[in-house]
Amino acid sequence: MKITLHIWRQKNSNDKGHFETYHLDNVIEDMSFLEMLDVLNEKLVAEGKEPVAFDHDCREGICGACSLTINGIPHGPEKNTTTCQLHMRKFKDGDEIWVEPFRARAFPVIKDLIVDRSAFDRIIQAGGFISVNTGQAPEANSILVPKQNADNAMDAAQCIGCGACVAACPNGAAMLFVAAKVSHFAYLPQGQPERKRRVLAMVEQMQKEGFGNCSNFYECGAACPKGISVRFIALMNRDYLKASYSEEKLEFAEKE
Amino acid sequence: MGFFSYLRSSILSKIVMAITGAILVLYVIVHTAGNLLIYFGKDTLNSYSAFLHSLGPILWIIRVVLILSAILHIITSIKLKFENWGAKPTKYAVKKYLKAKFSSRTMIWTGLMVLCFVVYHLLHFTFRTTNPQHYYPEFYQPHNAVSSVILERFDVYRMVVLGFKNPLISLVYIVGVIIVGFHLDHAIQSMFQTLGYNQKHYFPTIQKCSTGLAIIIVICLISIPISILLGLVGGGI
Repeated sequence: MKITLHIWRQKNSNDKGHFETYHLDNVIEDMSFLEMLDVLNEKLVAEGKEPVAFDHDCREGICGACSLTINGIPHGPEKNTTTCQLHMRKFKDGDEIWVEPFRARAFPVIKDLIVDRSAFDRIIQAGGFISVNTGQAPEANSILVPKQNADNAMDAAQCIGCGACVAACPNGAAMLFVAAKVSHFAYLPQGQPERKRRVLAMVEQMQKEGFGNCSNFYECGAACPKGISVRFIALMNRDYLKASYSEEKLEFAEKE
Repeated sequence: MGFFSYLRSSILSKIVMAITGAILVLYVIVHTAGNLLIYFGKDTLNSYSAFLHSLGPILWIIRVVLILSAILHIITSIKLKFENWGAKPTKYAVKKYLKAKFSSRTMIWTGLMVLCFVVYHLLHFTFRTTNPQHYYPEFYQPHNAVSSVILERFDVYRMVVLGFKNPLISLVYIVGVIIVGFHLDHAIQSMFQTLGYNQKHYFPTIQKCSTGLAIIIVICLISIPISILLGLVGGGI
């Protein structure tokens, strides 16, 4: 396959950045998108040029490290698929492909296609956990969870925190990510004691990080490589409203 | 903690958008239904108008609620929009939308156009400053009157017919109402999502109903100037 790539190159966060065009003649259909970039980088290194910087880790579609906005869609055109699991057979011979970093104010570009997604880590630190004593795992059946709730919790917990929702959102909003993290606890008994405090703290941190607001475009859910539903945003809105009129809100406001 | 402190919260701002939006949508539905009375003739429409004016303080309560809703809706939307623009400082060179519809991406613009349209509409029919020559009283005898007393009331029917006989005014109304329709297409289902009513077994229906209701409202409202232009309504005023 012959491919023409327009790749965003940016030296560092202060650089303005620009597109550079590369031609690859020896792309094999079975390569993943990242393997295709590996081939490009080998070629660039051989030519004595700076290779393209991009994020990756597991390359199995489960870690959330890879990113890239490919032809205007985060993680590319294949539905429910991360960039590392996107294969070149999804493209045609002679295709022109535009590769950009995930764009949002809260995700500053570090270099080329790598963005700083540590804002997500700080949102998790704000409340994306349950407080329990560590030790031996308790008897699994001592707390019963209805099947429906377990399914919903698992659907939300599929989130790998890749940031595609933010990248896809015209407002650069992180609502789907925060909603998924809030919801997977909200559906389980273990999440109940801190339920209100959690949603208040995580949404507060989300705003501090400079993410946008939700306009219900539903781009996030469509771009999510794990197919997380926007109905979790509705659940978070409901939880947030309830929490705003609770005792926990007073406690939370004092701490702030 | 002032009243506007809700603006500091992203989600509470959205909830204010949804609730004020819901009030305005309900008003649009009632207003549309009321307008359709024109098809029942002059007496029906003018009686309805006289009934609304006879509400007195209740009418003013409705007006105040609507004006406050509109003001909150506008202030909140502008605040949200500026924040959203700020949160996405660099645009993609290539962007493909997967779910965002034309109507959802243009809410701020259709919203501002609706505001202009509403201002014109109020100047035209409520304050009657743009076409004062269309303003006539109607003298009528109540159906249930025991005496042959002649009463006077405002002739809405004549005002509407004379107004819409002008093709330019009709065109402004038709375009204005279609823009309202675009706004509502996204707005109605968005309200349910924001308020937390989204479960997979009914939300697709809400989305379809949102578009459906917007289309019904547009058809009902634009049918009036079209019927008047075609001479189907108000021929013999």
